[in-house]
Amino acid sequence: MKTINFVLSGLGGQGILFLTRVLAQCALDKGIPVLGAETHGMAQRGGSVVSHLRTGDVESSLVREGTAHFLLALEENEAYRNLAVLSEKGTLCVNASGNPFPKDSVRPYLEKMKIQSRALPVGKIALELNAPLAANSGLLGVFAALENTPFAKADIRATIARLSPKRFQDLNLKVFDACLEKTSAT
Amino acid sequence: MKEAFLLGNGAIALGLLEGGCQVVTSYPGTPSSEILPEVVRFVKSENLKTYTEWSTNEKVALDNAYAAAVSGKRAACCMKQVGLNVAADSLMSAAYMGTTGALVVVSCDDPGPHSSQTEQDTRLMARLAKVPVLDPSNPREAREMAKLALDLSQKFKIPVILRPGIRVCHARQNFSWESFSVGGKPAVFEKNPARWAATPRFRFLLHRELNEKLVQISKKFDRLRGVNEHNLTKNTKYPLGIVAGGVPYSVVKDLFTESRREDIPILKLGAPYPFPERLAKQFLRACKKVLVLEETDTVIEYFLRDRKKVLGRLSGHVPSEGELLPGVIARVINNVLEDLGIPPMAVSGNPEVQELVKNLNLPIRKPTLCPGCPHRASFFAIRKVQPKAIFTSDIGCYTLGLNLGGVDTCLDMGAGITMASGFYQAFAQDGVEQPIVATMGDSTFFHSGTAGLLNAVYNGARFILVLLDNDTTAMTGMQPTPALGIRADGSTGKAIPLERVVAGCGVDFIEVVDPYDIKAMTTLLKKAKAYVASPDGGIAVVIARHPCVIAYRDRAIPEKRPVTVTDDCDECGFCHQRFECPALYPDAEIGHTSVNKSICADCGVCTQICPKGAIVGA
Repeated sequence: MKTINFVLSGLGGQGILFLTRVLAQCALDKGIPVLGAETHGMAQRGGSVVSHLRTGDVESSLVREGTAHFLLALEENEAYRNLAVLSEKGTLCVNASGNPFPKDSVRPYLEKMKIQSRALPVGKIALELNAPLAANSGLLGVFAALENTPFAKADIRATIARLSPKRFQDLNLKVFDACLEKTSAT
Repeated sequence: MKEAFLLGNGAIALGLLEGGCQVVTSYPGTPSSEILPEVVRFVKSENLKTYTEWSTNEKVALDNAYAAAVSGKRAACCMKQVGLNVAADSLMSAAYMGTTGALVVVSCDDPGPHSSQTEQDTRLMARLAKVPVLDPSNPREAREMAKLALDLSQKFKIPVILRPGIRVCHARQNFSWESFSVGGKPAVFEKNPARWAATPRFRFLLHRELNEKLVQISKKFDRLRGVNEHNLTKNTKYPLGIVAGGVPYSVVKDLFTESRREDIPILKLGAPYPFPERLAKQFLRACKKVLVLEETDTVIEYFLRDRKKVLGRLSGHVPSEGELLPGVIARVINNVLEDLGIPPMAVSGNPEVQELVKNLNLPIRKPTLCPGCPHRASFFAIRKVQPKAIFTSDIGCYTLGLNLGGVDTCLDMGAGITMASGFYQAFAQDGVEQPIVATMGDSTFFHSGTAGLLNAVYNGARFILVLLDNDTTAMTGMQPTPALGIRADGSTGKAIPLERVVAGCGVDFIEVVDPYDIKAMTTLLKKAKAYVASPDGGIAVVIARHPCVIAYRDRAIPEKRPVTVTDDCDECGFCHQRFECPALYPDAEIGHTSVNKSICADCGVCTQICPKGAIVGA
């Protein structure tokens, strides 16, 4: 069974754990074993938060530098900070604030490594839809729009619906749909 | 069959209960905090009778579990590695006295460290106490080892330590299990003062008995398939072998699978103490050199005595501090392979990226108190009233008060008070009246505040103690405190108000204030300051009481008070430095501070702090 490595990064409070759970559940629903690593404790209080997720037959939970197939970042700087995890031909999905992404100084590296990046201001989109806490679902929309995503769009959507707390379910799906559509259109 | 995507701590909980654990006690601490809540969840879903409790500290947790283990029951206590320091007194003696049932001490290590004051290695504590230790490499193995630990403990009548690292505790893995029940015997305590209340003369005999047990267990550890084993091919000599345990083992295993290396044998030591001498000797004989990969200190390496053959921390091949991340392990192995003239592993990744990222000068993200956190208001008021004080503090979210200049020291649990009295005496000896303000959270105070406070009162220290009472143990994930009176399983216990405990410690000045009202808090602190300095004064305890904004959103902010920043703001930076709310940020677009509405808690506290009055209700 092929191993797929995900790294999810962002800031404490942005809902990285929810993002991780959705992806893990998508894999589990396909009968694929999952092993991941989360950040808890002191680091959760507004610091950088990173979550690792590995699907397939693996023994260890952390994704080594240069081996992540996907990096999903809920904040630009956290995307840059974790750049080293991405493998050659890896994919980067990022919640960009509106600044051009990637920076000029980073672009040559991404090209050389054949890393494809998708940037969308999912935070702003979530805010406009009155769902400031749903940026994580928005980023899943960006991820779902990729051609090389290992999970079907409908499965990701259904998993978000299933794992969302009742009062956030509609908002999460609304933001997911909007970001999926916007990414597909570009 | 039931299935779940469990946290490593959940897997440990499952293993303990499947192993027939009748009593589980704990004091929260990262990375161990979720074990007990997961036990409670299984106890409810599987309809078990296992007794659970949040104990007031780790020593209390161990003693309580121990009593069950000498009543013929199967018991466990769970804590973080520095918590085991608190419980060490109990552990050392329990090793001598032994058990009649089973006692498993789950002590979770934090290499990095991510959320601890030290990187200490619990396996060394096991060696010191002379009790067996198991070191799981991932959640799946942690579940199995929890059961094994209970069985070993019961069989040899000795406490057994399970030492998961943070990458086991906070890993998540898919699990399935069949319904189970926890049987076990009713409590029977057979009186035997020569053992259970042994005097030094008998302790010598108990020590001898313990040593004999260790010899037996070491022999068992030589043949513990799956836990301690190697993959040598008979009659083959190897230029290099790897000896690894715990999390580093799983990393090496994956590395070798990924890079298709079958030429380097691995000796896995998931049960490193008492050391499996025979198995290790066998492995060393077949290898010209061995590289030891273990977290976080040198335990296996010390036991492999041939310094010419053994590479590791003592030989300078493995870093002696920090976490052994997969990238570090890959580099260490490849360096050794190159030194020995063996082809290195093909490891993907581009080294230039490190330099590229470094040159981006990314913002350093300090952890900060949450928007709306009542501690922020408390620290602001403390700094305002006592700008020149020494600020002794403690372990909890409020350690982050250091970002506001409100924390000068953080030694260990309870030292907020004991260092305050220590500072007082050190300065008073020279005739200097040094102002001191100690801060401590409610849970920490129940954990280890009282002995220090009694001592401070008794010995005539003078300082202000601000008890930051947010009605929960916030940092570790909102466990209840004795003041809340809610027990581990959600049932109602007897609530013990902080005020009564403080009064019981002999303190005469005890006042309560809501720190959201900064004016009221500063007024009270001034009164406390005067009391400390007065001829009949002493220790003034101010209880700053406001619920945690994360645990009790509605109760903490019953009335939303959204704010905005007017053009009176001249970007003096005062609010950023002294109030440090993440929701207030210098907005380059409008040229002064703005409110980040997506994270603002609408607590409205900041309207009280701007010297220009530029932060106002929206």
